[in-house]
Formats: sequence, C-alpha cells, structure tokens
Amino acid sequence: MKKFLVVAFFVSLFAVFGFAENYGGDFVYAMGADAVTLLPANMSDNPSEAVCRHIFDGLVEFAEDMEIVPALAKSWEISEDGTVYTFHLQQGVKFHDGAAFNAQAVKTYFDWIVASNVKRTSLYEPYIKQINVVDENTVEFVLHFSFGGFTSTLAHGAGLIVSPAMIAKYGDDVGELGKHPSGTGPFALEVWKRAEVIQVRANEDYWKGRPYLDSIEFRVIPEDITRVIQVQSGDADLTMRVPPIMKRRLEGDKNLTLRNDPSLRVIYLGFNMRKAPLDNVLVRQAFNYAIDKEKLCSVIMRGLATPSDSPLSPNTWGYAPTGGYPYDPAKARELLKQAGYDELDIVLSTPRGRYLQDYETIIAVQAMLADSNINADVQPMEWGEYINFLFTEPENSNYEVFLLGWAPSTGDADWVLRPLFSSDNLPPSGDNNTFYNNPKVDELIQAGMRESDPEARHAIYAEAQQIIVEDAGWAFLYNLNQLVVFNNKVQGVEVLPIEIVLVKNAWFEN
Amino acid sequence: MRNFVVRRLMLLIPIFLGVSILIFLLMHFIPGDPARLLAGEGATPQDILNIRQKFGLDQPLITQYFLFMKGVFTGELISLRTEAGVMEEILPRFWNTIQLSLLSILISATLGIGLGIVAAVKRNSWVDNLVMGFSLFGVSMPVFWLGILLILLFAVVFDWLPAGGKGGFEHIILPAITLGMATSAIIARMTRASMLQVLSQDFIRTADAFGIRRNKIIYKYALKNAMIPVVTIVGIQFGYMLGGAVLTESVFGWPGLGRLIVDSIFSRDYTVVQVGIMVIAMTFVFVNLGVDITYAFLDPRIRRR
Repeated sequence: MKKFLVVAFFVSLFAVFGFAENYGGDFVYAMGADAVTLLPANMSDNPSEAVCRHIFDGLVEFAEDMEIVPALAKSWEISEDGTVYTFHLQQGVKFHDGAAFNAQAVKTYFDWIVASNVKRTSLYEPYIKQINVVDENTVEFVLHFSFGGFTSTLAHGAGLIVSPAMIAKYGDDVGELGKHPSGTGPFALEVWKRAEVIQVRANEDYWKGRPYLDSIEFRVIPEDITRVIQVQSGDADLTMRVPPIMKRRLEGDKNLTLRNDPSLRVIYLGFNMRKAPLDNVLVRQAFNYAIDKEKLCSVIMRGLATPSDSPLSPNTWGYAPTGGYPYDPAKARELLKQAGYDELDIVLSTPRGRYLQDYETIIAVQAMLADSNINADVQPMEWGEYINFLFTEPENSNYEVFLLGWAPSTGDADWVLRPLFSSDNLPPSGDNNTFYNNPKVDELIQAGMRESDPEARHAIYAEAQQIIVEDAGWAFLYNLNQLVVFNNKVQGVEVLPIEIVLVKNAWFEN
Repeated sequence: MRNFVVRRLMLLIPIFLGVSILIFLLMHFIPGDPARLLAGEGATPQDILNIRQKFGLDQPLITQYFLFMKGVFTGELISLRTEAGVMEEILPRFWNTIQLSLLSILISATLGIGLGIVAAVKRNSWVDNLVMGFSLFGVSMPVFWLGILLILLFAVVFDWLPAGGKGGFEHIILPAITLGMATSAIIARMTRASMLQVLSQDFIRTADAFGIRRNKIIYKYALKNAMIPVVTIVGIQFGYMLGGAVLTESVFGWPGLGRLIVDSIFSRDYTVVQVGIMVIAMTFVFVNLGVDITYAFLDPRIRRR
C-alpha cells in the first residue's frame, strides 16, 4: 500500500508538471523538399524516408543510438554459418488497407524487390537467395553467403514493408505504387499534394497502440530561413537543416528546443591517386597534418561538427578510433620536403551548398594549406556537374583534390568501406573515385562483409580503418552534426543519426 | 481580326518545335548524369545502369529526342525523378503559379496604374516625388529580402498572416504582394511617362480649350491613349510571372512551376524541365496574343489594319 502511494505520488507529480504523455494534437513538420516517392524500396532521398518511416514499419529498426531493435520482428536467430536469418513476427498486425501482416507478406515484399528494377534492388538482390515461409508468423531469409551487415540492410529505409495487396495491385507500376503507400505504421496517408503537403493521420489500430498525435502534416518549405521562421512563429512545430548562423538566435528563444545531434555523415577531402604527386603517401599525409580540424569545427561549423579520424563516423557500426592526424604544419612541410617538394600547386574542387558550409570549409582549408606551402586553387561547382566531374572513366579523371561527404544509410561499416575503398569498385559506376588500392584492405573488407560474429567483425573493421588512415586515403575533415529545432511543448522527438527526424512517438505537453 | 488570330496561332507550331529542340539540346549538353543523381548516394554500378536503361538514357541523342516527342504527343512521358506522369507533376504547379500571377498582376496593375496617373497629373509636386521614390524602392528591392522582411513583420511580429506554405487565401497574400511590388513600380513609371507624353499633346489642349472637365480629359481621353505601352509592360510582366517567380516561390514555399523547373534542372529531370519550359513558352505566346488583341480594342487604327 505504501509503495502504491509513493508511485501514485510520483505519477500525479509528473501529470501536474506536464511530463505525462498526452493524446491529441496536429503536428506540423516543415521539410526542405517534398518526398519523391512513398515506395520505400525506390527512395534515395531524405524527405521520402522521413515520411515513410511514419507510415511503414520494418522487421527491425534503428534506435537513436543506431542500435538495431525489434519492430515487426519480435526476435530473430542467425544460423551457425551465418547464412540463414529466422525472424519471429508480431501477431495480429494489419496493413492500413486491411491486408494481414504475416510471413507471406514479408516474403511477397522482398521477393518483389529482388525481382524488380527499383532503386534499392541492389541492397538485397546480391545477398538473398530465397525467402521461406516457415509458418504464419515465422519467416526465414536464406543468403547466398554469410553477410554480417544483413540486419542493418533490413533496418534501412528500403526494408520498410509494403502491403502485399498494394504490390498485387500496382506492382508493375512503380510510379503508382509510390503514390499509394500502405504499411503497418503508426500513421496512414491521407492527402499528398505534390510540393505542398503530405498529411498522415493516426492509425487507430496501430499494433503498438495508437500514436499520441492525431495527425502530422509534412509541409514543404524549401527556404531554410523561412522554415525556421515558421517554427518561431508557431506555424510549424519542427524543422531540420537549420542554418548554423541562426543557431545563436534560436538558442535565445525560450519557446524552442534546439537539438544538436551527431549524424553518420563524414566530410572529407578525396585525392585522385592516379595523379602525381597525390599518389605519394607522404604528400597525402602532409595534407592531413596541414589542416586544423578543430578550428574548422569550432569556427566554420560553429560547433556543428566534430574532427574526424576515420572514414567512419563514431556512430557508424564498426567505428574504431585511430588517433587520426593532429594539426602540425611544420610536420606537413617536412613531409612535403621528404617527398621532394618545396611547395605544391593543386586544384581543390568543391560543391557549393550541397553540405552545410561546404564552400566556407574549403576556403578555410585553402588558407591552412597555404601555411604548409600548398597553393590550392579553389574550383566550386554545381552539384550535378560536380558528380559528373568526379565519377568518370578513370583515364578521364581530371580532378585532383575534392570535397565530398558520405553517410551509410544502413549505419554499417560495410556500406562505407566496400563502396569507397574496394579497389575494383571504380567509376564511372563505382564510388572509389580516389582509386584507393590496398590488397590488405580489400581482403579485410571482404572478410568483414562475410563475418557474422559482431566482435570478430568489429576487429576486422578496426584494422581496416587503421590502415586506411595510415595510407592517408583521405584528408579527414569532420563528422557533421544535425541541428533540429522544435516547439518546446513537444516531447518524444527522435533524431536518428541517419539524418532522419521522427515524431511518431511524440506528443504535445499540456 | 480573325485572320490575325489564326495567323498568330499558326505561329505556335514552329515555336513549339523550336523550343522543344532547343531545350532538349540545352538539357542534354549541360554536364551532369541524371542516372547518378537519381540513384543517390551509395547506389551500386548496377543501379545506375538500370536507371539509364529504364529511361532510355543509353540511347543515341536523336533517338532520345524522338522518344521524347512521341511521349509529348501520346501523353505517356514520366518524370525521371518521381516516375509519375509529367503533366501530373506540372499542371497542379502551373495552376498555383497562375493563381499567384493573377493576384500579383491585379495588385501591381491597380497600384501601378493608379500611382502612375497621380504622379503624372501632379507632376513635380511632392506626391510625384513620393510615388517615384516608392517605385525606385520597389524596383531596387531584392524579392527574397522583401519576402523575408514581410514574413518577419506580418507572421512573426503581428502574427496576422502565415509565414508560408499553401492553404487558404491568407497564404497567397504575402507572396502576391512581394511578387507584385517590383512590377507595380515598373508599371507606375511606365504609366507616368506615357501619361505625361499624352497630356502634352495637342488634342488634350484642344479638349481643355473646349472646357471639358479635367477629370474627363484625364480618365477618358488621355488614359486610354496612354495605355498602349502600359498594356505591353503588364503583358510582358505577366508572362514573366507565369514563367516562374522562382525566388518568391522559394521564400514562401509556394509550390509553383518556376520552382519545379529549377528543382528539376538540379536533379536533371529532363522530361519535366523540357515539358515545363514548353508550357511556359506556349503561355508567353498566348499572353502576347492577348496583349495584341487588347491593343486592337484600345486603338481603332490597329483594329482596321
């Protein structure tokens, strides 16, 4: 009885101070761009994924710390040899269109992805050999080979499960399927006016219990400043991609909550190693010593980034600290001398406006390099043109040093190291446009992919990162943070490091 | 008159073909590979090849042009980015742009012509100076800056109007004022100059000598004669607005055609850009035709020709 009273006291205290979850309320979520498609397997943009993660569920999902947690799968087992994944499913779950969620629905969706030509087919097609319905609530994925990152690919946005009824109806028209999303998620699509708004309403029969919010309006406001003003004026409840210059002003606003969280995005300078002198490891190391990463983070990024010491961000699964390169211009000059250069002239290419403060960063880097006798000529480019310039036949690659960012959407080391550092993944189609080539790293990447024991896998990736850093495969710059601002009456906002903000579990305080 | 309209409409055919070829070539000659942009970060080589194949981007240029034109006539073109029908993407945006442009041109024509007349009639007075000052201000103010100022004032400080987005009538007010501001300034200057010229002509002095009321002279005789250059300017400005007020649309999150085209250029969504530009070009032709017909109503001499 006494215990009960104590509990009751605290519960009522929480209620009085408004900490308790509240039902009701229409949430306005301001985004910079419209969703491109609401078909999870065919999306490659952030707004689409943000919306889809409110409409659909996957077998597993990412928590805020990128841990993979159960969702539609209650639990799972991995066979001894790492090639069979057995998932035990939640029971009594229905899609928004009324279709039942069961092992067959899982099979239908992933079979469809593997057999179709959608943007994320390649995320599953190379691994999945077959999918077996063991019983109504158990499904088994048989892989071609042991793949340690498989649960991460299921937590990826493309693994959000679409209703088999919709696949039967629109399966051969990807455009239509993308307009008729039906998932098992906490919210169901109500209206989608292109470039304007996507409205979703609470799914009363949600299998985890009805969400707190009645509805969410994803409103498209392309201009960063206008979007933030909308939150300030109360027209919208939340927005992301807040320009760093507005940070201080927003910090002073007591009606707003400002969150500065890490993302998985690493910003780096790549080298064209087919070209002298960038094929010389001493020169590449000189670049690394010449750049003051701390200063870039504090001055240019205003605290919205942390210095990077690996191709992986600390939140990516498999990250291991390497120590990186401290700022040491004297050492940089010495290394250049050792390589046979008193000074160096190079072209530094960058996109402008693609990543937070990208151009500003390059201008600062240019000044830092000058202190180490490296004269950089900055060449800014429009994104579409830039991508074309960087990913071309190796023999036509005219770039020297370039700024680029990478964020693995599976949250796994494999999705960084394999595309960017495998010696056989060359442009124009592959992503290894630095032409990094180290047989030992190739071997480790393959071993890491196939290892299913997490500890052993982690050790493999730690070794690979150490080698890449010693090789100065990149000039490591920083890990980007993400700045999210919202109405301080809102609780339960989740900021995932994959640059996705979720309000599916959010509520308004009284 | 009918011949004139028919002749003008016939002109649409070469313009249509010319624009389609020009914009097709321009889009394909700017660097940037749509397949890579569409595939997004972390796409595999196979993904990119698949996209190229799916949209025929691996075909020779001439084949791509004919496929495109075939798509235009059969209405089967799809957006490379969203894979939805191109017209499905363009029409709702175009309608939004038309709404915004109509309200803007209404505001700017009323304000501009009104102020222009006042300035001309009260020439060299403080009223004239004030109006011309305003119009200098209006022409020189960058749209995105004015837009953000208006948002700060009316949405944040007074909280009278929404800060952006699209919804009820209240959402269109600020963007329409912002877009109309510069145009109203241009129209005011044009009206003033044209009125001054007409007011100094002989027939006005004659009318004055006949003792006709000043107001009647100004509004009936002078204004009608002064309208021809003003109508031209209004028409051209309206055409520009329909072509996309990209900055205004971006600041206010107004989902119009201009922004769609700009976004599509950045993502190299060839089909949407090409059809979008063709729609704008056709609209311009129609607006010009409208202006020419208005001339005929304003000036009987043109009608008779």
